[in-house]
Amino acid sequence: MYRYDEFDHAVVRERVEEFADQVARRASGALTEDEFKPLRLMNGVYLQLHAYMLRVAIPYGTFNSRQMRRLAHIARTYDKGYGHFTTRTNIQYNWPALTDLPAILSDLAEVEMHAIQTSGNCIRNVTTDVFAGAAEDEIEDPRPWCEIIRQWSTIHPEFSFLPRKFKIAVIGAEKDRAAIRTHDVGLQIVKGDDGGTAFRVFVGGGQGRLPHIGQEIASAVPAADLLAYLTAILRAWNLLGRRDNIHKARIKILVASLGIDAFREEVDRHYATLRREDLRIPEDEAERIKAYFAPPPFEDLPKVSAPFDRALLADPDFARFARNNVRRHRQAGYASVVVSLKPVGGVPGDITADQMEAVADLAERYSFDELRAAYEQNLVLPHVRLDDVPAVWRALRQAGLATANADLATDVIACPGLDYCSLANARSIPVAQALSKRLADLDYQEKLGPVRINMSGCINACGHHHVGHIGVLGVDRKGEEYYQITVGGSPDEQAALGDIVGKSLPSEEVAPAIQRTLDRYLQIRAEGERFIDTVRRVGPEPFRDAIYETLDAANA
Amino acid sequence: MLQTLEGIQNGLRLSVTTPLEEVEAAAAAEDVLVLEFDAFRDGRGFSLAAVLRERGYRGQLIAAGKVLPDQARHLRRSGFDAVELAPGADRAAWARMDQAFSAAYQPAVDPDPSIWRRRRAAANDRDLDALADRLNRETAGKGAAEIVKAALDPALGLKVGAISSFGAESAVLLDVVAREKADVPVVFLETGQHFLQTLSYRTQLTRALGLTDVRLVTPDAEEKATLDARDDLWKTDADACCDLRKVRPLARATAGFDALITGRKRYQASTRADLRPFEVLDGVLRINPLAEWTGDDVEAWLDARDLPRHPLVEQGYRSIGCWPCTRAVDDGEDARAGRWSGMDKVECGIHLGKRKAA
Amino acid sequence: MKIVTANRLSDGRVIYAGVDNQPVDRIDQASVLDDPAAEIVLAEVAGRPEVFVNPYLVEVQDRTPSGRDRLKERIRSAGPTVGHSVDLDVNGGLA
Repeated sequence: MYRYDEFDHAVVRERVEEFADQVARRASGALTEDEFKPLRLMNGVYLQLHAYMLRVAIPYGTFNSRQMRRLAHIARTYDKGYGHFTTRTNIQYNWPALTDLPAILSDLAEVEMHAIQTSGNCIRNVTTDVFAGAAEDEIEDPRPWCEIIRQWSTIHPEFSFLPRKFKIAVIGAEKDRAAIRTHDVGLQIVKGDDGGTAFRVFVGGGQGRLPHIGQEIASAVPAADLLAYLTAILRAWNLLGRRDNIHKARIKILVASLGIDAFREEVDRHYATLRREDLRIPEDEAERIKAYFAPPPFEDLPKVSAPFDRALLADPDFARFARNNVRRHRQAGYASVVVSLKPVGGVPGDITADQMEAVADLAERYSFDELRAAYEQNLVLPHVRLDDVPAVWRALRQAGLATANADLATDVIACPGLDYCSLANARSIPVAQALSKRLADLDYQEKLGPVRINMSGCINACGHHHVGHIGVLGVDRKGEEYYQITVGGSPDEQAALGDIVGKSLPSEEVAPAIQRTLDRYLQIRAEGERFIDTVRRVGPEPFRDAIYETLDAANA
Repeated sequence: MLQTLEGIQNGLRLSVTTPLEEVEAAAAAEDVLVLEFDAFRDGRGFSLAAVLRERGYRGQLIAAGKVLPDQARHLRRSGFDAVELAPGADRAAWARMDQAFSAAYQPAVDPDPSIWRRRRAAANDRDLDALADRLNRETAGKGAAEIVKAALDPALGLKVGAISSFGAESAVLLDVVAREKADVPVVFLETGQHFLQTLSYRTQLTRALGLTDVRLVTPDAEEKATLDARDDLWKTDADACCDLRKVRPLARATAGFDALITGRKRYQASTRADLRPFEVLDGVLRINPLAEWTGDDVEAWLDARDLPRHPLVEQGYRSIGCWPCTRAVDDGEDARAGRWSGMDKVECGIHLGKRKAA
Repeated sequence: MKIVTANRLSDGRVIYAGVDNQPVDRIDQASVLDDPAAEIVLAEVAGRPEVFVNPYLVEVQDRTPSGRDRLKERIRSAGPTVGHSVDLDVNGGLA
């Protein structure tokens, strides 16, 4: 993984000093709250319902044991002993004091971490495939390009005061495990005409109040010209994007209103006159960065592992974990292990300081000191020898982290909702907890197979409800919490927005209604059909009936 | 630095909300253009300035209106020369924020070299002797794997290769390297006069260790035709033969590398008694992870890792080069006594720095 | 009736305007005001941005938030209703 050199160290150190200066000027009155707010946001500092919230970047989700231990230290020292992983593979602390923030940022800088641009109207933390560098179907590891984009976008002089936030995701395989078409810009590595690395570029995806699926603007931008092309896109939007209405400021609205062809022409006009040579990624710099992401020194192992196979036979709990949370690896004899942060009745994405340290130990001992944060608010040990998976599982179980539900119905993605967030209309966490308890039976969940359920506490859609196979959106009806349900959304290469099935439900009705939806699927699914396949085949109608049947009966 | 100007400045004043085409058309005839920010959050002004500069506007660009000291370097790096401040503005804060960062990653309109350019400059102008000293200090007391790891640290930005004869002890070095990074280029000098056993061993070892980039380097065909058309130069001038088949090809093959890993050890020869793990030879960093190893260490490693042995070892060969200049040694002899036996020659020359004029 | 609330600049915690418009941590220490008095207190604390961040009025009945945002204000006064906050410094929570 990437390691800081003297320049990277200087940037994060100087950023801490700059922020301390800003905090001092806010305290002295030299900066008003309105002026201070965008500056603190660009350092990941929100003011939530109960306290400040700090969002720390885990660039493209890759980090190591030393960094994880530092995150645990921060949770203990400055917060309440836990953190919360987000869908942008960041970690949030819910209780830090403003006066402690420069010290926290210093602690982070020491381990090559920061909170730069995890919020604000700027280019945000770049995300990627959680299995980058481990997946079998990858044509190229996307992370060096993520790092190049991270550096290029950090404290960008032209693009730090954009109309709204700007999110980029990069993938290196045909299969989309990073939801690139729900991003402002999605990049897919392809082979260019000359056989070199190139990027297929999607633009104008996004969720929120007016969700859009990204459209292709370029089929193969040569890698060396990537930053020039991104500059042209951002420039076109920075100059033409709406600033009069926060809900219409994202690039998706500009792309939709101009149409993709007219927007492409606008981008091409800028591309033609910008200083492309200056922005060309120097080949030696690209090579230097790629060298950090070379595969770890894998051992030459047979495809099958006797200890793994023995454990499968010996322990049905391990067998279940292996079925649900262990993923194939490109290297024979290795696997990626998903560490679920979705225990029954837990807060999705939350992790205690002790658990962080337990995971750090496992990464150090069994996964070449590498950890990943996943879009699904889980963690991944990317490179574990099959021989070691039983030991990893035992240690995870000790730490309360071995819930065998990855990608199953209780692997719920949820935003913090009204329990923490000042923007929310309704709580998300209690609804996710009720659902998790109701569907806790793992036999039942395995029978259902993969189902993605997403929950957002407001239309900003941080829980990505639009692209959940089942989505739940909290709404405020005259001061009461209600929940709107969507069916058929999907974040992958067949990206789709879910259909709203009907009127919203009170909170206690949500979990039973979702269970009826899943039961209906079990009744009508064809052989081998996943939940989302069935929805695509039959449409939302049968599920609407299931959701409202008891309610209709009660009203009849 | 961004100039800070007090009071209303002369020049054409346009809001940053003005469409680009109008700003461009208006600017063409003006020596001074003042762009007014209606709100500091409205970042259009930065793109307007950058586009104007990139399209060749040479007049003075002044920012005015609602801007914060914290935006000083954004303004400067986007192409503004100055900011118009209200009387009583905190100029010290403007100066401080303008210089808050010693460098920026991305190239922009300002002339300061980006971090990317500085990295390049640093890479082209490195002090290898100091680097070797530092690495020797940092790896003191550490094992071969740590030494290789230190050399491969991407933060150093070195292009690292290894050289190997695929001889009697080569498996150890190659194993250590492969465990750190299997795609390190390994240069093998295909002199054309190796034992057949060496060639088959090369294939066997490459496969066993999973090395993915073993490069065979042959003598230049023209040079060979001139100097040694009949492949018997070794009989008359072994030094010239080594020069043709090893020293010159190696120099060509390693031109692109900043650092070369070798398997040399102090105990092998008196010429190697002062060998350090890191040294500089002809402007290239040499890394000798096994410098401090003894013959017993080598044996123990080969055993412990169950590595394939060179087939000639059991016939008494303990240092293996080209067939004409290598013989087996007896138990009491130095390992390298079988190389250029009977000649006043211990080294082929690839580890000796530039040849002195005779 | 109304109370005045904000977040404290230094640590972001929920505060209310209490006796003498001093910041207090608990909703039961907040001054309960009629509309004209509430506007005056709001203006006063808005002039102290080094303590009161984004002050605003909350409608209450018997010191319990009662307006449209009552759920949000009850969560603000009592802490998150879930998970990790249970053993923390804010006790109680919502029924």
